Amino acid sequence: MSTPFTPMLEALSRQRGVRASLIVSEDDGLMIDSSLRFGQEGERVAALAASLYRKARLSASAARLGAVAFLQLDAERGRICAVGGRGDLVIVVVAEPAANVGLIRVELLRALESVT
Amino acid sequence: MRIATTEPWIEAPLARYVEEARARLALLLHPSGQVVAQAGFTRAIDVMTACALASAVHATSSELGRRVDGKPFRGLHHAGAERQLYLAPAETARGAYICLTVFDAASSLGLVRIYFDDLCRELAAAAPPLVPLREPALAVDFERDLNANLAAMFGRS
Repeated sequence: MSTPFTPMLEALSRQRGVRASLIVSEDDGLMIDSSLRFGQEGERVAALAASLYRKARLSASAARLGAVAFLQLDAERGRICAVGGRGDLVIVVVAEPAANVGLIRVELLRALESVT
Repeated sequence: MRIATTEPWIEAPLARYVEEARARLALLLHPSGQVVAQAGFTRAIDVMTACALASAVHATSSELGRRVDGKPFRGLHHAGAERQLYLAPAETARGAYICLTVFDAASSLGLVRIYFDDLCRELAAAAPPLVPLREPALAVDFERDLNANLAAMFGRS
């Protein structure tokens, strides 16, 4: 099933090193749409990434740092990047360790601009 | 959080679920309304009431699912102003149980659902071999069994 977010997610997934891209509801932790490669557990990634983003947003707010612009989590076998701030929506990318984070960041922020 | 069960094999999976899903309250019961395990409740009367209501809601939503979708709905979610609940069945070799989970802004429906799936898997794996089936819950036995389970959990005879 195609949604208004599908072209944006497919464009993100075409970036080199990107394994999955998802758009998630921050409040519910539910996946709205995704572009996943085989083997990715979309619902699990969506729920945990939304929780992570929400906690980062609350932490930034508690520390009086303002809104979260870009969230990056580096792990042993990859990284998770997320942007939000358009209502309840969070855009999440799962990428390989060697992926170009700068490019992913630009594409994520551009994707966020396209989300109304 | 205090966890009490009438069947010891349930305790570890339920404790893990409550911890990981950041649940405020959790209740595992037979579809008849008999309590099997609880986490977070402090009064037996609250457990008894929640079991009766959860059992009734599950029966209603299951029948509604059969009517509109040909099979029972799997899970039910209600969102309140501050707290939400998720009600869903967990199948084991010992039959189906119903799990009522209450959570707040510290968690989310997505988290509760993924960890509930884990709970179902763990309960299915931990359930001891099937023993002779329980007698159907008859009205004459129901209150006695219910009181015995509550007494086991809250330490009263």
